[in-house]
Amino acid sequence: MTTTDSVIFNPNNLTLELDRTTVDRAWRTSQKIQNSFSRWQSYLNRVALDAFLPWLKAEEDATATCNSSSLRDSIWQLVNGTAIAIKNARLVLIPTEAEDKSELRVPQEWVDIPQWTADYYLAVQVNLDAGLVQIWGYATHLQLKNGTFDPCDRTYSLYDAELIRDLNVLWVARELCPDEVTQAAIEPIAELAPISAENLIQRLSNPSLVMPRLEVPFATWAALMQNSDWCRRLAAERNGISTRTPISSWIRGMKEITAEFGWRQIELTPGFIGARGTATSEATSVPIGLAKQLEIDNRPYELKILPQAEGAWRFELCCLTPGCMIPTGFKLRLLTEDLQGFEGNEDTALEPVEHLWLEVDLEPGESLVWQIEPTPNSDREILQF
Amino acid sequence: MHPRQDTVEIFSTFIQFDYDRFGVWVTDTRLRRSMKSTLETSAGSSANFWALYWHRLWQENHHLAREHLSAYLQEVCFWSATKTVGSFNSNQYRLADCFQIAIARIDRVLQGFDRELGYNLKSYASITFSNTIREALRQQKEIDICTDWSLLRKLSQKRMTEALAVRGLNRETIERYILACNCLKTLYVPERAGSTRRLSQPSNAIWQEIANLYNQRKTLLTIQDSVTVEQLQQWLSDCAKAGRDYLFPSVSSIDRPKPGADTIEIVDSLVGESNESLVSELIAREEAQQRSQQRSQLEQFLAATVAQLKPEEQKLLELYYSLGLKQVEIALEMNTQQYAVSRQLSRVRKNLLKSLARWSQSTMHISLTSDILDNISSLLEEWLASYYGK
Repeated sequence: MTTTDSVIFNPNNLTLELDRTTVDRAWRTSQKIQNSFSRWQSYLNRVALDAFLPWLKAEEDATATCNSSSLRDSIWQLVNGTAIAIKNARLVLIPTEAEDKSELRVPQEWVDIPQWTADYYLAVQVNLDAGLVQIWGYATHLQLKNGTFDPCDRTYSLYDAELIRDLNVLWVARELCPDEVTQAAIEPIAELAPISAENLIQRLSNPSLVMPRLEVPFATWAALMQNSDWCRRLAAERNGISTRTPISSWIRGMKEITAEFGWRQIELTPGFIGARGTATSEATSVPIGLAKQLEIDNRPYELKILPQAEGAWRFELCCLTPGCMIPTGFKLRLLTEDLQGFEGNEDTALEPVEHLWLEVDLEPGESLVWQIEPTPNSDREILQF
Repeated sequence: MHPRQDTVEIFSTFIQFDYDRFGVWVTDTRLRRSMKSTLETSAGSSANFWALYWHRLWQENHHLAREHLSAYLQEVCFWSATKTVGSFNSNQYRLADCFQIAIARIDRVLQGFDRELGYNLKSYASITFSNTIREALRQQKEIDICTDWSLLRKLSQKRMTEALAVRGLNRETIERYILACNCLKTLYVPERAGSTRRLSQPSNAIWQEIANLYNQRKTLLTIQDSVTVEQLQQWLSDCAKAGRDYLFPSVSSIDRPKPGADTIEIVDSLVGESNESLVSELIAREEAQQRSQQRSQLEQFLAATVAQLKPEEQKLLELYYSLGLKQVEIALEMNTQQYAVSRQLSRVRKNLLKSLARWSQSTMHISLTSDILDNISSLLEEWLASYYGK
């Protein structure tokens, strides 16, 4: 399907060819998305990524990686662009179908949400008919922040003449002037209370809202997007997958959705339950719980949620490294949906301990938010019981 | 075309086409007066000197400098257009149009031109013009095979805004048209994986959705009237027409001599003289000498660096820059696969860029930034084109 034979290429443009398999796979994968705009946006981003990432790994940086695939897929449905981490820097690919290469237009999310910002933003032209992907210029975060902001579609844009046209400059700059400032200072985004996030997700999941990113003020939208869990949930809800399911049904099955949010089902051995002194006499039934792996201070931990008798739930944090104890000062805390504390909602390690744990009684339908200090590598999430 | 010899003419005359061929040189009287009075301060200097001189004044926003430089680069632009049109194997593209496309983008040349790094303005302009024309012809080819609906999806917002502005629409109207285009792009997406050029007219249901989306999102516009489907259809077909026409900007471009405005002329000549103080001129002259020294050092360095490349890398550079072969031809010649050619060339250029950057750092004591590296990359490109172009 390639037509590069007829193209006299400009040596500054990195031209990558698309093969039929890449295109077909990207098309098939994106078909599960219901909204046609989101489907096309996902498709275009996937094609751009599948063309660029293998080249990047082969030519410049074998360590290059993308966001986790579930988060990436969710973002593609909501916002145009793909983040890639390379050694000591982050790139965002901004694919476009525009033929004229006269501007780079970057959604505000990639520039103003602290967790989303990158050092470099690459202008990627995808020509599906010609079977070509061209990287024709790039800009730093600093340049974009000084570019033109358009409130109508909430984008920062730069003209072609303002971009760096040769992608080689990026790699040489990383090598010869690695300390160059690439990012402008940005304001932190105020966090959203889980209950507001919940309401927002319900409201924006209405498929008749074609571009949810433009439906609410940016600060509100950004607060929702900066939490990867909420971002995934909104994308899932917009595809008609209900994410507001009680934990008990996660435990009973629904492996896919559970995994999407970073949880896995665990089976507890009867002996273990006995040892904790919480089991009933029914040794034949094997209760199931949920576990999520977390990283705190560069060490792996695991948070478990274990249903107990009579509507009680146990939250337990332990260290995954053999022989490791939870250091003094660590806290496990539970909060209500509107982030209020309650009696007995916190366990603190006063000395190194094996577990931190809490037990709470919950009515069906009640929701909780968990917190750990120091903060792990996981976004705040709201769990319904 | 007979090239100009006289310094005053070089900086004050423009090509007028006779259909698709060179016609005559026409004089812009304002520029002629300005250049004459400038020359009185230092008659013996070369055209190259005056080009650098005007480029410096252009950076200081001198209002005639751009036009003087535009006059200076007429021949270069003419030859770039001739060469590029010739390589496109098609009679469809007119030389005069290509010339206009390139000269209209002279700002790109002037912005990218870095006096400090020892560029040669003419050869830098030549590659920039050629790239611009090539890119425009490629776009034109693509746009020609697109339906209106595909075309609307394939033009950037910036390009569409310019196209509508050229038609004389006011800002408020352009805003509305652009929102309409964006609503179409959002809601009318291709249905097949590899086909974006032949989109047919959207269905009635889609039109209605586009109108609904427009009416939801119009609150950020200056004029917040609702639209009907019929209105939208009219607007978008206007947009498609504007987009098609704009790819080749009309000949009544900003770079033609402007008639009239005598009162401004008087002011011009006064401003012109006050800028041409002897001091700045002497500095400029010294700069020019330094630069020609730097330039020859740089040329020696690059020639030596290229000579050390592997034979197949040297061959690749030669095929591309000297013979101007297409990717498939290079692949055949090099006995490699097509997709590898662009990558290999990019790799060779990257290594040259790195060497040249290091060299500039140590010999010229330049502290490197991305912007400087970008300029060094253009310089390299310019050098490769002139080295292999001989």
